[in-house]
Amino acid sequence: MNRDWLKVGIIWAVLTALGEVAVVTWRMFPEGYTREYEVVDEAYILLMVLAVPVFMFMITMLTYSVIKFGSREQPTEDGPPMHGSNRVIVAWLVITSALTVGILINPGFVGLSDIRGEESSDMVIEVEGQRWSWKVTYDNGIVTTDELIVPVHTRIRFDITATDVLHSFWVPAFGTKIDAVPGRTTELYITTERTGTGEEDLNLRVQCAELCGLGHARMAMPVSVVGEAEFDAWVDEWLAAESAAAEEG
Amino acid sequence: MRALIRAVSGGAGGYVIAAFVTSLITGGSVSDGVPVTFGYIFALLGWLHGIGVWNAWAREWFGLPPKPDNAKGWTRYFTFSTDHKVIGSQYLVTFLVVFLVGGLMAMVIRLELAGTGEGFIDADTYNKVMSMHGILMVAVAVAAVLGSFGNYLVPLMIGADDMAFPRINALSFWLIPPVAISLLSAPLLGSFEAGWTAYPPLSVVAAGDGQLLFNMGVITFGLSSILGGLNIITTVATMRAPGMTWGRLPIFVWATFSASLLSLVITQFFAASLVLIHLDRVAGTTFFGAAGGGDALLYEHMFWFYSHPAVYIMVLPGFGVALEVITHFSRKPLFAYKAVVGAFLTIVGLSSLVWAHHMFTSGMAAYLHAPFMVLTEAISVPTGVIFLSAVGTMWRGKLWMQTPMLLAGGWVFNFLIGGITGLFLADVATDVQLHDSYFVVAHFHYTIIGGSIFGLLAAVFFWFPKITGRMYNETMGKIFAVWVSVALALVFIPMFWVGVNGMNRRVNDYQQDLETANNFISWMALLLGLSFVLFAVNLVWSALRGPKAPDNPWGASTLEWQVSSPPPEHNFPLLPEVVGHPYDYGVPDAQHAVVGGSAKSED
Ligand code: HEM
Ligand SMILES: [Cu+2]
Ligand SMILES: [Cu+2]
Repeated sequence: MNRDWLKVGIIWAVLTALGEVAVVTWRMFPEGYTREYEVVDEAYILLMVLAVPVFMFMITMLTYSVIKFGSREQPTEDGPPMHGSNRVIVAWLVITSALTVGILINPGFVGLSDIRGEESSDMVIEVEGQRWSWKVTYDNGIVTTDELIVPVHTRIRFDITATDVLHSFWVPAFGTKIDAVPGRTTELYITTERTGTGEEDLNLRVQCAELCGLGHARMAMPVSVVGEAEFDAWVDEWLAAESAAAEEG
Repeated sequence: MRALIRAVSGGAGGYVIAAFVTSLITGGSVSDGVPVTFGYIFALLGWLHGIGVWNAWAREWFGLPPKPDNAKGWTRYFTFSTDHKVIGSQYLVTFLVVFLVGGLMAMVIRLELAGTGEGFIDADTYNKVMSMHGILMVAVAVAAVLGSFGNYLVPLMIGADDMAFPRINALSFWLIPPVAISLLSAPLLGSFEAGWTAYPPLSVVAAGDGQLLFNMGVITFGLSSILGGLNIITTVATMRAPGMTWGRLPIFVWATFSASLLSLVITQFFAASLVLIHLDRVAGTTFFGAAGGGDALLYEHMFWFYSHPAVYIMVLPGFGVALEVITHFSRKPLFAYKAVVGAFLTIVGLSSLVWAHHMFTSGMAAYLHAPFMVLTEAISVPTGVIFLSAVGTMWRGKLWMQTPMLLAGGWVFNFLIGGITGLFLADVATDVQLHDSYFVVAHFHYTIIGGSIFGLLAAVFFWFPKITGRMYNETMGKIFAVWVSVALALVFIPMFWVGVNGMNRRVNDYQQDLETANNFISWMALLLGLSFVLFAVNLVWSALRGPKAPDNPWGASTLEWQVSSPPPEHNFPLLPEVVGHPYDYGVPDAQHAVVGGSAKSED
């Protein structure tokens, strides 16, 4: 019996080590562009790191039992009458509770406060979802419906609402989302950290993530994170074009 | 068969007359909301009347002698039979068929997603197929194990001759065919695009009346669940054979009992939320419309107050099957029996306090995030006990690797993946990214298929000899068990990856760079779908031609194996007497029950 435990222990340790190496080296998440994305990525990896030993323990127990104790023939005798001693049960409960409390603290509470961050922003952008497009209104009055352009190294608050049905404002490369609810304004904070454009990276898009009917899949618009100078130039150009249009009209 | 013909004509007649009369009164078209609603209600009454509720039951209320339909042979499956074994079989066949239909729809979904762009179906059809697949499969997961095996086995396992309320039992089954018909015909009326979750405002504003049939079908299904739950609870509480104490109940009975507690208590919340949607659609109320002062988030709270615990209605019976199979096929007592029972009851309690983990990104108040995260993750402790029991029972046992045991092993593996990935969705910091992405699709398929469907499959093979009196083909069974498990991983593991890489759920198109992965998933889905051809062939062929099964092919200890296969009409010739624990394998001279006057020991 002790031999069995020894073997299980060794297999488990090896599988766990391999699993941990895989989890840490093979980053499942593609590149992101915000501070929030890093919080998500780190929380994800931490959960993976904690999940690997648990997963491997169960897998080891399961496969070891099948290979070592299993048979194709009907057994002629019974196994040992182990009903499960209280010590084993209590130990199991203590370990699983400790693990649960552990992940509740980190990434649980730690991640929760990290992902929210400070309730202050350098810029407020209003977003309105309607079937099946997005309307973006900047605090300087610029309105766009075909792209979202934001400056890098900026903390932005999105004020989000919807006019018809539920939608959800999700930029996969920003790492977070919130629903657009008719009759309410929901808030989402992000801090941009890297530049990029929706043409290069398909995850730089505002994607509706809440089923809204026929055009739901295509309710998307590209996002660009640009340098501050470039952003200012874009704003000036836009405002100039607008006043030119106003003079003409 | 006469009853069935009466029922169909009663249903059709009820619909036509009620819809027509209502349309005359309202002055609108027969396909408007109000006529459809009344049409459905009277169709349901006409159907029930025809199938035998009047003859076998309601006549009594008017002082008339009841006229039960005493059909024998295979025709009794088409009557208002009150035999729990007939009802269990009716449930089983019905839900296996629904399961295969839902599976075909999954094939359609995957065919469309095999490439980017609009493929062979348009967006509207996609949404309908996706919604239909979802609601049919949810119904299967809720009722397939509980309704079929719960009905068939609970009375046998506790040593009773039938359920506590046999006629309510028949009623809860005969409510199901109208549900199937209304759900399957809903897309014909249009506006069947809000998914199985039916979130307003979409479900309220969409044009066409398919949503109405969806609402009424699901409400009827809820009624059936509530009646079924009530019946199982009462049966377990009052019909146990002498000596069958609570501490000696087979674990499958505890599992169905716990799931029934949930269905009795929570189902009305889904029904109530759909009634409000219905009123918003046909009566002009605005419970969920912002313009009229309503709130869409109210629906989400009501809906998930049912639908989260509902996942435990789906998986608890699956837990029961898996542990039942593992203990018999390991020839060891169930490890930590009492702790498992405690875990079941803790899950029942906790599961109704975690619903808002589905709403971390809904815009609900931020102070609700932390408590719902804590409560949700707390469920992993009782769930962990079930895993302890599974591997503890197998450890050093005499494992007999027949098909049911292979599938029970698959249950452990797949539900483990479902459970662990659930933590990523319970954690707010990861959920804000993963919510509504394909990561979720992969996760819930692992929990539902792992927890509920693998339980169903194991149960089908394990109790097949008992129910049909014939053996299934073991080689085909084993090939199927391995095939389905491997294909499942090939389909759903890559879905986690596409989700993390930015693909959102409920879409008929996606970004170009995920085409290769999706194409692979679709081919593997076909492989998975094909495994069920083997499953169906095995069952149908064996039920008709398989070799005769002995009474107890597995040498199992519980009561259902101590009677003939299939069991006699009234289950036990003499009242059995329970004298010991159900799973005392390896305990010298242990005995579970004395049946038919003569002692039967475990082996
Ligand atoms: C052959 C096996 C299956 C495959 C390939 C499959 C595939 C899928 C896919 C791709 C979706 C997502 C559709 C979308 O988001 O656009 C989906 C949704 C869903 N599936 Fe399955 N599925 C299978 C079996 C099952 C089973 C056995 C169940 C439950 C018993 C189930 C329950 C659901 C539910 C509840 C939804 C959600 C529908 C909604 O979002 O409203 N599926 N399935
Ligand atoms: Cu949408
Ligand atoms: Cu839930």
